[in-house]
Amino acid sequence: MTPLASIAGAVLSVTPWRLERRLEVDAKRAALTRIGGAVGAMIVVGILLLLTGRNAFWIFWQALDAIFGRQRGIEGVALRAIPILMTALGVALSLRMKVWNIGSDGQFLMGALAAVGVGIHMDGPGWLVLILMAAAATVAGAAWILVPALARAYWDVNEIITTLLLNFVALQLVTWSALGFWRDKAAAVIQSTREVPFTLPDLPGADSVTVALLVPLVIAAVLWWVFRSTTIGYEIDTIGGNPRAAGFAGIAVRRRILVVMLFTGAIAGLGGMLQLSAPGAQAMNAGFSAQFGLSGFIVAALAGASFWGVIGGGLFIASMFYAGIVLQTKGLSVYIIFAIYGVILTGIALGEIAARYRVVRRDAADETEASAADAAAAPQGAGS
Amino acid sequence: MTGDSKRPSVEARGISKAFGGVAALDAVDFEVSWSEVHALVGENGAGKTTLCNILAGIYRADGGQVIVDGTERDFRSPAHAIDAGIGMVHQHFRLVEPMTVAENIHLGWPETPGVVSQRALIDRTERFMGEMGLHVDPTAKIWQLSVGEQQRVEILRVLARGARVLILDEPTAVLTAKEAEELFAVIRELAASGLSVIFITHKLREVLAVSDRLTVLRHGIREITRPTEGATASEIARLMTGEERVLDVEHRAVTGDPALELRGVSALNDRGITALQDVDLTVRSGEILGIAGVSGNGQTELAEVICALRGLESGSITVDGSDIASMSVRAVTDMGVGHIPEDRIGMGMVTSAPVKDNAVLHSYWTEPFSQGLTLNRHSVIDFAKRLVESARVQTRSIFATAGQLSGGNQQRLVARREALVADRLLVAAHPTRGLDVNAAQEVRSTILDRRDSGCAVLLISDDLDEVLLMSDRIAVIYEGRIMGVFDAADADREHIGLLMGGHSIAEAVA
Repeated sequence: MTPLASIAGAVLSVTPWRLERRLEVDAKRAALTRIGGAVGAMIVVGILLLLTGRNAFWIFWQALDAIFGRQRGIEGVALRAIPILMTALGVALSLRMKVWNIGSDGQFLMGALAAVGVGIHMDGPGWLVLILMAAAATVAGAAWILVPALARAYWDVNEIITTLLLNFVALQLVTWSALGFWRDKAAAVIQSTREVPFTLPDLPGADSVTVALLVPLVIAAVLWWVFRSTTIGYEIDTIGGNPRAAGFAGIAVRRRILVVMLFTGAIAGLGGMLQLSAPGAQAMNAGFSAQFGLSGFIVAALAGASFWGVIGGGLFIASMFYAGIVLQTKGLSVYIIFAIYGVILTGIALGEIAARYRVVRRDAADETEASAADAAAAPQGAGS
Repeated sequence: MTGDSKRPSVEARGISKAFGGVAALDAVDFEVSWSEVHALVGENGAGKTTLCNILAGIYRADGGQVIVDGTERDFRSPAHAIDAGIGMVHQHFRLVEPMTVAENIHLGWPETPGVVSQRALIDRTERFMGEMGLHVDPTAKIWQLSVGEQQRVEILRVLARGARVLILDEPTAVLTAKEAEELFAVIRELAASGLSVIFITHKLREVLAVSDRLTVLRHGIREITRPTEGATASEIARLMTGEERVLDVEHRAVTGDPALELRGVSALNDRGITALQDVDLTVRSGEILGIAGVSGNGQTELAEVICALRGLESGSITVDGSDIASMSVRAVTDMGVGHIPEDRIGMGMVTSAPVKDNAVLHSYWTEPFSQGLTLNRHSVIDFAKRLVESARVQTRSIFATAGQLSGGNQQRLVARREALVADRLLVAAHPTRGLDVNAAQEVRSTILDRRDSGCAVLLISDDLDEVLLMSDRIAVIYEGRIMGVFDAADADREHIGLLMGGHSIAEAVA
């Protein structure tokens, strides 16, 4: 049992009910309990706000109105969602193979940096330069995970530490480029690189959202199809489930790990280019990535490596961040906003765990198999 | 310490227990006396382990009473049961591998002093081992011990908590024949000192060898409790299975083409020590070659080199005349070689994946499942449904994870899947280990079907009865060498037994 479930079990032990593990977690139920967790967390937040003398109803109304009340709100959410969705998709792909790519922030930054390099040095038709920028970003993102991927695939070096540490290296490189070799000498206030003179075209009818929004949707659709209907998806899931059995089935496990890890880096790197090619974001500085890798990781972990779950979760978290910014302008303290983020994310995580259990009355005799198996797994005699 | 010797040590009255609406135990009565070894016998799923889990406080019964030494008890946890003197040794050990024997025995033992030196722990452990007459090096780390020694540590742990009724759940399943003999001696001594020992098994020979009384369970109902003296193996088998079933195997002298040939094969094990030395073997189409031997004499490595999972030091292996030494696992599978691996869960399946995905694990890349890149879900589902039906795998759905299947059903699934892959050669490593009589018969029938349709079969088993029953020819392996090859007609049990123990042919004949 997870520690949280154990605590819940202990609390319930004084009641006529108890927790019981489900044998199978149904995908629809898992989605519903996560939504339930988020709603429950918002109710808790509302009660806390009311208890501290704030008008919770006004705050929630402001948040909803800011997002859905005008086109600028919806576009603001979409703009924030694009980088988060890209890093989250990369991480979700790696999680299918039980590989933890913690370095998507670094891959994102290196992708953007490569795109800057192409964008400020190349002359030519905009569409061609943009395509080359995207290609350079994809290659750079993959290159940034190459060493961790080789080390993981061929020498079983834990990828969590290697990918994480390269984030800091990438950030230093970006800072150096902004202060040094690609510095925009005209910019006075914030040190940044020169500006790329090309942007992606807007979506029809949009003011600021470009066609970049389509990219994560297409990638999610492709990944969904790969894992549903191809042997490659089957092999990746098999490696994630049992690498030894995968090797015994003749799957080239090490080569697959290498290639999949390169793809996760490539997706994050392309995310960096998409972010860079939005109007008004065409130069890089040290703050270029607002922890997009971390947000993407949270989304992928909460979505349980389901690609449509990543899309839904990424849009939700982007809405939450956007509402937070609007509420700051309305005078709500940034600390309260961060606390609200934390409560909501915890609520979703609890919802994810809740999908695996159900509450039954103690005298209900049927289907006790799973909880009994839990009891059997506890060390015998421990604590006696 | 033990109670009134006329009173039963443990008594279960009318115990019932259901899982998901299916009765696992139906009003079972069961009693054990002091100083008695009581064998609890039945097929997989007969309710043996469930009954003992109730006695040990792991499950709670839906109905009935548990009476320990004259007092009715209601156990809510294993801790309650151990307080009442009932301790259970499970099939899978719960030891901390990097810690020493002494540390493991003292873990969670209320009598362990709060502040204690290694020296004191070792002294206490040695004293306790002396009292119990059971010895293991107290300074050894668990991972350094053999499985038999680890089991002994488990028994000591349970005894240290004051258990006077010891439940052993299929204790010999993981042991070599010699370790099993040593365990039986320990069991007899513990009973002689006044303890009750409940011994769960489905191996009839063990029942007859070690128990004073036996109880047979079938489908959650007690069939009989009787003294072991005077009982016969066939009588117990009939009560266990409800019918007398004997697999009738016709042995044949086969002249088919050699499907598998090993010439001078040598290979290393995982630790880099020679595991196979200069092995020559031929398996013909349509015959079963049985490998007899005590576990750990190179059988695992033999299966692995044939399936291209392990490299050769020297020698050659050919399947239908093609050298497979430099082939990939996939290429060997594509030649029609199936392999029922020894470690079914670790190598043969993905327990987190659905049954349907496991059904095609060794064929998903071939027609009709795949045309190059795509995987045809409908044909996978169709195939899995037929496989589950024909192999009689009991599962709620082919979409349920393979991890939810019982051990016997996992084995049925893997055995039938590999039999279907095996057009030319089937390597079956301990294919019936841990299975009950009926499931074992089914797996054996599957293997015989393959033989009869012209497939060559290499059968590896440490159960000599099985090798003698199934094989057309028998090879004996000892320390990585083939000691001799016999036709089934000439095979002499005693002779083979001597070769398995490392005696040369000359000694064996003399």
